[in-house]
Amino acid sequence: MSETARRAVGVSVRDLAKDFGEKRALDGVSIDVEPGTFLVLLGPSGSGKTTLLRGVAGIDRPSSGTISIGGNVVVGGKTFVPPERRRLAMVFQDYALWPHLNVRKNVAYPLATSSLTKEDRSRRCDDLLERVGISHLSERFPNELSGGEQQRVALARALAAEVGLILFDEPLSNLDADRREQLRIEIATLTREAGATAIYITHDQSEAFALADQIGVLNQGQLIQLDTPENIYRQPATAFVARFTGIAGEFPVHVLGETSKRRAEVSLPFSSGYAIEASTMEKIAPGADLRLFVRAAGVTLAEPSHDEGVCGSIRDVAFKGHGYDHVVDVGDGYSLTKIYSSTKFERGQNVKVCFDTKSCFVMDSSREAKATW
Amino acid sequence: MAIAVLETTTPAAPPSTTRSKKRGSLGGVILWIVLFLLIIAPVGSFLILGVSPRVFQQGPQWFTLTYVRQAFSSYFGQGIFNSLWVSTIVAILSVCVATALAWLIHRTNVGGRRLWTVAMWLLLMMPTWMMTLGWGDLLQPFGAAQALGVNTHWIYGEFFGPMGIVIVLTSAALPFAYFIVSAGLQGLGPEFEDAARIHGAGPIRSLQTVLPIIAPALLSALAICFAETMSDFGVAFTLGYHSHFPMATYMLFNAISSFPANFSVAAVIAAVLIISVIPPIVLQSRVMRKRSYAVLSGRTRAPRRRELARGPRAVATTAVAGVFFVALGVPILGAVIGSLVKNLGIESPNGVHFTLTYYAQIFKPSIQGDSLGAPLLLSNQLGLVVATGTGVLAIILARRLIANPGSWSQRVTDVFLLGSVAVPGVVLGVGYIFFYNLGFISHNVVSLYKTLPLLMLALVANAVPGQTRFMAGPVSQIQPSLGDAARVHGAGRMRAWRTTNLPLMSRVLLWGWLLTFTKTIAELAISQILYPPSQEPASVSIQSYLANFAPNTGTAMTVLTLFEMLAVIGIALSVYRLVTPRGWRRVGFSGVQS
Amino acid sequence: MTTTSKPKNAVRKRFTVLALAASVASLSGVVAIVAASGAASNPGFVLYSSQGYDHASVAAFNATNPGFTVTLNDNSTGPLLQQIQAEGSNPKWGVLWVDGASAFAQLDGEGKLLHHSVPKVKFNSLGLENIPADGSFTPTGLTVTGALCYDSSQITAAQLPSTWQQLASSQYKGLVGMNDPSQSGPTFPMIAGIMSYLGKYKSGSTTRAVTAGEAFYTSLKANGLVVNAVNGATITAMEAHTISMATIQSSACYGAALTTFPSMKVTYLNPSIALPSVIGIDGKQPKLVRQDAQKFVDWVLSPAGQAVMQTGDPEGDSLFWPVITGESPSNPIIPPLSSTHAISTNPYTWGKLETQVNTWFDSNIVSGL
Repeated sequence: MSETARRAVGVSVRDLAKDFGEKRALDGVSIDVEPGTFLVLLGPSGSGKTTLLRGVAGIDRPSSGTISIGGNVVVGGKTFVPPERRRLAMVFQDYALWPHLNVRKNVAYPLATSSLTKEDRSRRCDDLLERVGISHLSERFPNELSGGEQQRVALARALAAEVGLILFDEPLSNLDADRREQLRIEIATLTREAGATAIYITHDQSEAFALADQIGVLNQGQLIQLDTPENIYRQPATAFVARFTGIAGEFPVHVLGETSKRRAEVSLPFSSGYAIEASTMEKIAPGADLRLFVRAAGVTLAEPSHDEGVCGSIRDVAFKGHGYDHVVDVGDGYSLTKIYSSTKFERGQNVKVCFDTKSCFVMDSSREAKATW
Repeated sequence: MAIAVLETTTPAAPPSTTRSKKRGSLGGVILWIVLFLLIIAPVGSFLILGVSPRVFQQGPQWFTLTYVRQAFSSYFGQGIFNSLWVSTIVAILSVCVATALAWLIHRTNVGGRRLWTVAMWLLLMMPTWMMTLGWGDLLQPFGAAQALGVNTHWIYGEFFGPMGIVIVLTSAALPFAYFIVSAGLQGLGPEFEDAARIHGAGPIRSLQTVLPIIAPALLSALAICFAETMSDFGVAFTLGYHSHFPMATYMLFNAISSFPANFSVAAVIAAVLIISVIPPIVLQSRVMRKRSYAVLSGRTRAPRRRELARGPRAVATTAVAGVFFVALGVPILGAVIGSLVKNLGIESPNGVHFTLTYYAQIFKPSIQGDSLGAPLLLSNQLGLVVATGTGVLAIILARRLIANPGSWSQRVTDVFLLGSVAVPGVVLGVGYIFFYNLGFISHNVVSLYKTLPLLMLALVANAVPGQTRFMAGPVSQIQPSLGDAARVHGAGRMRAWRTTNLPLMSRVLLWGWLLTFTKTIAELAISQILYPPSQEPASVSIQSYLANFAPNTGTAMTVLTLFEMLAVIGIALSVYRLVTPRGWRRVGFSGVQS
Repeated sequence: MTTTSKPKNAVRKRFTVLALAASVASLSGVVAIVAASGAASNPGFVLYSSQGYDHASVAAFNATNPGFTVTLNDNSTGPLLQQIQAEGSNPKWGVLWVDGASAFAQLDGEGKLLHHSVPKVKFNSLGLENIPADGSFTPTGLTVTGALCYDSSQITAAQLPSTWQQLASSQYKGLVGMNDPSQSGPTFPMIAGIMSYLGKYKSGSTTRAVTAGEAFYTSLKANGLVVNAVNGATITAMEAHTISMATIQSSACYGAALTTFPSMKVTYLNPSIALPSVIGIDGKQPKLVRQDAQKFVDWVLSPAGQAVMQTGDPEGDSLFWPVITGESPSNPIIPPLSSTHAISTNPYTWGKLETQVNTWFDSNIVSGL
């Protein structure tokens, strides 16, 4: 095992809970993060992801539960290890660069308690600044930098101490779109190069999918689903997960019957009850009235003359550079959004809409129970 | 921002959690014990006499409302009424003027910005009795103005009335309002104004649209200007007296000037002063709710300045200069010139002569033994100790004040501090005698009465509330994540505080220290009642010269003390500049932007 | 790399412990010093005094090596009395020395003064008049309050009023000044004396006298009376020619005449009111302290003490008339005492009315002027 790989530490969270007065911000969350994994915690505001991250960092004290880092209990019972002894680093949403220190000193801060000589520290700083592409800014102060530059400094600072665990608190949310993509790649590359375990929180599902080895979806303080990005996308555990990870539309449907394991035939509420085959997450009874969630990727558009599919008309079209996103009305007030096609269908044009089974999920939308495994 | 604040506050946790929680509440208990000994016990000892004079052998009754009735009789009640309406007018006026000044100085390219900032600090440090001395010296018949050939007879009479009182009190309250509003403006990004302008608002209307965003700062400024004005003694004692315009603090002084002193009526008046600050606080907290003021971080940028055209710029600069001339320039001019005019106030058939005799007399030990040398040295020593002690306590209290916004403990601290600002110094001083001269304390615990340490404690108690509120604004602007980042990257609690918070607070700490230092030297009421035998502070020395028939020497002493204070400020600032890293001075703190 | 090494932690802990220990030690040291200061064999007493010559007196007395030290607490009369009252039943003062006897009458009424403390010296008649029956306080000198001080460059002696009532006549409209009794200690005794004189007071109820006095001052106010806070302010008003005469304390006028105001002269209406400087001993102090205090009081009334009083503040409080027969004032500017027509008032009677009269004066004469 390489030295960088040895550096990575695992994180184990058991039944973590946190109350703020009456409000329960975290409700018995348990997660195991293997060393070297890039875990993304995904969820809306108030889902508890920030609370969880701050609990791991040691900035906030959980109400109950245990946290272990690298096999050592840092929170549990009477134990509470303060942040400075947990051997981790963190990149903050607002960068948290010290305004009275220049870039070089900000980056060098974690090295102050190291055993490196002054020359080594200086060299390390230079390397990091070079690596994140800001060595020309080393003497500047934070308020003289753009948002993207500041976040690079924060990233360099997090990498300086060569720790085994790096935490990211929505680091891209304050950046412009183009910078966001650039920096996302930097974060992904540098963290993996450094060989650290990463816990990254965001509310942006595309960011989560792009970065993660594993995604944990949180809602209202509970962990709903923990899985690979592919599985989350293809087999969302609950309606919430499905919605949060991007759907083109959802409709109430009537279940006609199971066609095979994890497949069922359902009739749509439009197009005179047109039936399609959809994926199921669990056993469902025929005759049940459930909800269908449709991923945009599972919908194709065709000319009206096409045999299969339901009739629809284009309400709006947007050029995306590599193709077009359409909003399609399918009748009875229902519509689908972000339907991609490399060719353009004009506004008002009639089309046929085809559904791919793998990208359509039928489930009970009241099923929001905690993931059980 | 709100979430960040929410998640730094840690309300009651189950008992299984933590040493740090216990440490936090132990710290709170110790703090309140210190505050009890410093402020609550002495002030309480005085106030209780309002209804229970027998507690400290000031009357036969264990409980009576006689003195409450007396305090609201027409004689004393007039003073209370006058103080209330004058304080209200002064608060509103000073906030309006301060807001205009703050806007011009921080958001436009008005000329002389650094000068105005320094002038505002000077105004903050100047005691009101010095201001009235200067005005009096200037305007009196055969005064400084007349020595310069300007006839001021027509304005002299007008000045000794409510008009002059409002002018001087507004000048005194101006700096409080200015610094609080400036801090509020720092969090007001230019985008709000831009949005208003884009949607059709002219410059005035966009200002009107945007100002309510800093309503909390404005209300806070109103509250503190009101409290400071209610408790002012200098103007009430000099201008108020000469204008036959009694104010509450003067009536309080009157009540205890006879022998036997009527401490009980004085206690009721003091209680009224303290209670009168509650409505402004309630109003302020209702508007502020749980808003976070954390805006100072690495992302803070200096607000964009509006570039005024030459004409408007000249007008604005003149207006600002005018305000400072009236508030500060006039009294200083009056005092300085007054100290140089031979026989000021006396018609001289030979015309006006300027002289330095009074300065020469300052350091000559007179037969009474009171030259200015020893008292001034003592005052400086007091200032040093008191400013340092106050600084430490104020920082601790300021952090408590800004943590848990909206919680009951924060509100109690807020009311307590502002109420303490409203306590007149003489009440604190006499209260110290009552409490620390109690038999069981002086015989069994420690005998502090008539010692220098007790005087120091009382002066610290006097300075802490004001300095805490002064520091709370800037301290609350420090983003919590800066400290979190330090902890997470390996710094222990102390190192994190020392390397992140301390540099950002260094300017605040320095100016707070200087403020208390100068305030201590100029402080009169407490010093007079508590100074140990043969250890007379400078302010007491000066007053005895001014009150007897050596007012010219007294004026010269005043001017010299003022310049000595300025010299200390200059030295302190130079040392700060030399000693601190460049980065420390980069951090914008309202009023002293580099 | 971010681990804080164990040795560093230990060093830090040790340092903290040391720092705490040092603070505790120094604090105990301070407490010990403060406590020890009270443990000397004969610590003497504290003199509360507002007299201009008190520094000189205390220095001179201590130099006679009496075996104890007199510590001087010099302050204005107001703060001194506030301190005494606030100290309550745990007094710190051993001796009080201020102008005017009403404070002493009050203290005597509260049982706080040592009786029979008057030194055995030959007092002149005014001196004797100011010694109470229980010997609880002693006059040490006399000034006159209600002396008619005038600016001889503005008004001649011939033009001056010869009676108090004449002050209210139109020729003196706006020319007369006086002090505010709530600010100026010597002023209430003057008002009390005027009330006593105008109401022909002998004994019993003072109501008639008070009414007569109130009527008098009301008439003065109608005639443009100028009220300033204290002697210094009134004299400044004279120097500025706002007023040309004032009924204030003799020593203040003589002091001004000797220094900044050469044209200041003093005359005396009939009657004027004697204002003694008075000294008294705290009867609640331990026996040793009372004995020490008595030694000091005896010394003040001795020729040596009187000499220091007369030279200690030559342009201020030293300008007094002695209360001892055979002694003369320190400065030739001071005329014989007989020429002042000075009378004394009973502080036990009039002292009780001070608050009432001052309040009336403040509401009716000072306010709205």
